Amino acid sequence: MIELGNTDNKNSPTRLLDPGVLSSLSNLELVAKSVVEGFVLGLHRSPKYGFSQEFVEYRPYTEGDDPRHIDWNVYSRTDKTFIKLFKGETNSHLMLLLDTSASMGFGNGNISKLKYGKYLAASLAYLSSRQHDAIGAMVFNNEIIEFRPPTSRSGTLHSVIHLLDKAEAVQGTSLEKPFTRFREHVKKRGLVAVISDFYCRPEDLQENVQPLSSHGQDVILFHMLDPGEMSPQIKESTLYEDMETGEAIEVSPVFMKQDYPARVKAHIASIQKAAQGMNADYVLLDTSQPLDRALHAYLTFREKRA
Amino acid sequence: MSLLSPLFLLGLMGIALPIWLHRLQTHATEREKFSSIMFMEQSQQRIHIRRKLKYLVLMALRILFLLMLVLAFTRPVFFVAPQGLVSENTTHHVIVMDTSFSMREGNSFVQAQIEAEAILATMSPDDIASLYIASGSVETINPATADPAMIRASLSNLEPDVGRLDIGAMIASLDTLIESSQANFVIHFISDYQQSAQAVRFADMIPDVINGRPVNLEIHQVKIDNVPNWTLASIDVTGLQEIRVGVVNNSEDAQSAEKTFTLLVNDLEQQTLTQTVSVPAGGIAYITIDNVVFEDGDNRLDISMTPNDSLADDDRRHGVFDNSPPAPVILLSADPDSLASTYISTALETAPRGYEVELQNINDFDPRILERYPWIIIDDIGSVNEILAQELRIYVDGGGAILALAGERSAAQQTVPVGGQNISGGLGYSRNTAYSVQRVNSSHPVLGRSVGWNNLNISRVVPVEAGDNDNVLISLSNDIPFLLEQTIGLGRFLLLNTQLDKNWSDLPVKPLFVGFMAEAARHLSNEEQLVREQIVNSFLQLGQNGGASGQVYDPEGNRLLSLADTTQAQNILLDETGFYRISTLGGDVLVAVNPDPRESNLILMEAQALQNWQNMVANSAGALMVVDGEAVSVVDEEPVALEVWRVLLVLLAVIVLSESLLGNRYLRFNTGSS
Repeated sequence: MIELGNTDNKNSPTRLLDPGVLSSLSNLELVAKSVVEGFVLGLHRSPKYGFSQEFVEYRPYTEGDDPRHIDWNVYSRTDKTFIKLFKGETNSHLMLLLDTSASMGFGNGNISKLKYGKYLAASLAYLSSRQHDAIGAMVFNNEIIEFRPPTSRSGTLHSVIHLLDKAEAVQGTSLEKPFTRFREHVKKRGLVAVISDFYCRPEDLQENVQPLSSHGQDVILFHMLDPGEMSPQIKESTLYEDMETGEAIEVSPVFMKQDYPARVKAHIASIQKAAQGMNADYVLLDTSQPLDRALHAYLTFREKRA
Repeated sequence: MSLLSPLFLLGLMGIALPIWLHRLQTHATEREKFSSIMFMEQSQQRIHIRRKLKYLVLMALRILFLLMLVLAFTRPVFFVAPQGLVSENTTHHVIVMDTSFSMREGNSFVQAQIEAEAILATMSPDDIASLYIASGSVETINPATADPAMIRASLSNLEPDVGRLDIGAMIASLDTLIESSQANFVIHFISDYQQSAQAVRFADMIPDVINGRPVNLEIHQVKIDNVPNWTLASIDVTGLQEIRVGVVNNSEDAQSAEKTFTLLVNDLEQQTLTQTVSVPAGGIAYITIDNVVFEDGDNRLDISMTPNDSLADDDRRHGVFDNSPPAPVILLSADPDSLASTYISTALETAPRGYEVELQNINDFDPRILERYPWIIIDDIGSVNEILAQELRIYVDGGGAILALAGERSAAQQTVPVGGQNISGGLGYSRNTAYSVQRVNSSHPVLGRSVGWNNLNISRVVPVEAGDNDNVLISLSNDIPFLLEQTIGLGRFLLLNTQLDKNWSDLPVKPLFVGFMAEAARHLSNEEQLVREQIVNSFLQLGQNGGASGQVYDPEGNRLLSLADTTQAQNILLDETGFYRISTLGGDVLVAVNPDPRESNLILMEAQALQNWQNMVANSAGALMVVDGEAVSVVDEEPVALEVWRVLLVLLAVIVLSESLLGNRYLRFNTGSS
């Protein structure tokens, strides 16, 4: 788990990753590119993480190999065709599962959770496309809204980002139906990133995500919360309306100050525990913080599962 | 309005409005959206219920506002026991001082002040007093007070003015001026009690109730020296250099005395004449002053008579003489040498104003010079041809005036030129019996001063038929109009249906003809509306005499009109004696103002009449009797009707303020979390 923490956005080299700055960019692909390029720039200064593809060896070109990978310098000297092999290359694929239930539309700051989720999903898709991973996406609430199976064909990134871009926060959350259908459609092993606020029972989460792990999928849960959800501050008793159910409830400021944050923390802990129980990675994200933490977590996750 | 009045009940239905609005408001409670309420817990205190309760307070305020508003319109009254300054034994001494012109006589007003002091001295500690002055109008000097010193201070500053007292008007005014009180009223009227001040109807002098309280009247009469009062009653210019002054003897005996008359013309002493004047009781004698030199235009005439009598202020009189050159008037005639032209010229030249008649043959007349004349005369309207008739109609429409006579040539027409009245054809003859005048509209300015129309012998008339727009001033026995007036645009067309010839009527040889021509000239030249001599407290009509858009100066030279009033004021109260000057674009006009001659008549009311008056007042009051000069109250104290609409208005203001504050707080509350 990556702990939440404050980042000095002004002095950080990842300043461009700040959600507030990103929200001023209208193009989701541009957002993803900005996030990833900025993120990669930061990585070059880090001794821990190496993203550039490391040369391993040559092997003779065989029919079916991509001619673009032929080392023409070697060919000019030897008149033989060789293919360069790099360490970072895998044949894995990434499936992005974005929750678009109505609660994802909440946002007290600059951006809503859904928008933050879109940025994250697009950035992961862009990052994966740089590594030639096959990428796919599923947008869901209590149904599957959009589904695109993972593929590495050219233009996949654009289509995935377009799919993400048009998602809207409506309806409630139910994991059962979307995840059941997902398991039916995706048989191949790969990485599954679930981006949601997880306003559900941990038991339901475990019940629906566990089968993915059991089938060999490597799952990472991005749990997004708005600062206003974690510690809401009100001066007077307020009538709150649930964005998904429409149900209203009056709460006192004392309760919201003392009891509510504890309940939210307990919920986070239970989600985290459920993730551990199904061998999934768990990342808690504050939507007011830059996206680099999520990307770090993803790279760690990918490296670990590769 | 009763509380069961349909209007009141209808107004109460307005209460439904805030109830309906608040019902809508309850449904529209503000909610704050949150991603999920799965971790939230219901507050112990239901805030939306509390909010509704708050809104109910707001609603109650609004209902209360409407209720108060409706109630205020009903003017509710509470009856409360009398309290305050007035106790059960309080007597309200209403001291009314006569300050009219006649109180300038001798030491009358000093006596009145002493009398008032005596009244104040008899006041008991429970009593209150108020002071009023009565002349042309009634004014409050001191409202009700228990402090006689305040009244005494005011008394010492009072002095008589130049107005005229009418006791009937005074009594009526007191009813509105005397403030509401539970005390018993005693009106102390201190006056000389002139007979001329008595109301026309004796009943008008009975103040049976003032402010719902019975009234008692105490008569305080000042003594007047039994000397004859000489008064200068009139001043007229009777010749080129001659003035006639009327001297009135306001006493019950014939008087004869040597008097010296001093005439000032435009503030310059012109003549001093001393002669013995003999005047019968209540009669008038005229003194003629010769060799008076007048300036062109308006002349200020100021004549005084010495030695003065006890009422010296009426031994002086102001007058105005307009010495402008005779106004030109054109007489159009087909036969300039006719007798009719002579009659008209002579009559107008001898009129008081004086007119210079320019005789012209109608056939040689150039209509372009019409604009030079405010009015013209045509001795036979039938001699006007069609082209000239059109020009004349334009002339009248633009403000000119025509005095037309109908003669032989008119009888040959089918309609009267300019006027357009139908002529039924032929001359109407009455050989055996003359036409007689059947009806005379004596209220018309032209006929107001001339009498004797019924004695005219009329043998021939043109059978003119009066139209809808014609005002028939004199009609004959066969309903043929003898004199009619028609208003055309801004001007007037006056048609006299006769020829100035003995074969037609004997009008030109009757004395009334000169007067009629003078009045017709004044009327048609718009001079009649300015009366150059007025009495005090009369109104000067500005709009009618062309004084509007000008300035009026009082005898001291003070401007009376504000800038806005110079174009809007319709009349001015002339409350001083002397010369008022009306300054307009057309030049200055003077108006002389003199005291009302009735104030100079010092014949007093009979003692018996005064006693009857006092008794009638006491009897009508019923509940008050005067015993040795002290009022004894036998009136049950009735509760005072206290109107509460003012209180309701204050409450309304408080409710509106509370509603605004509370409503504003709700608006702030709805923002929810910060």
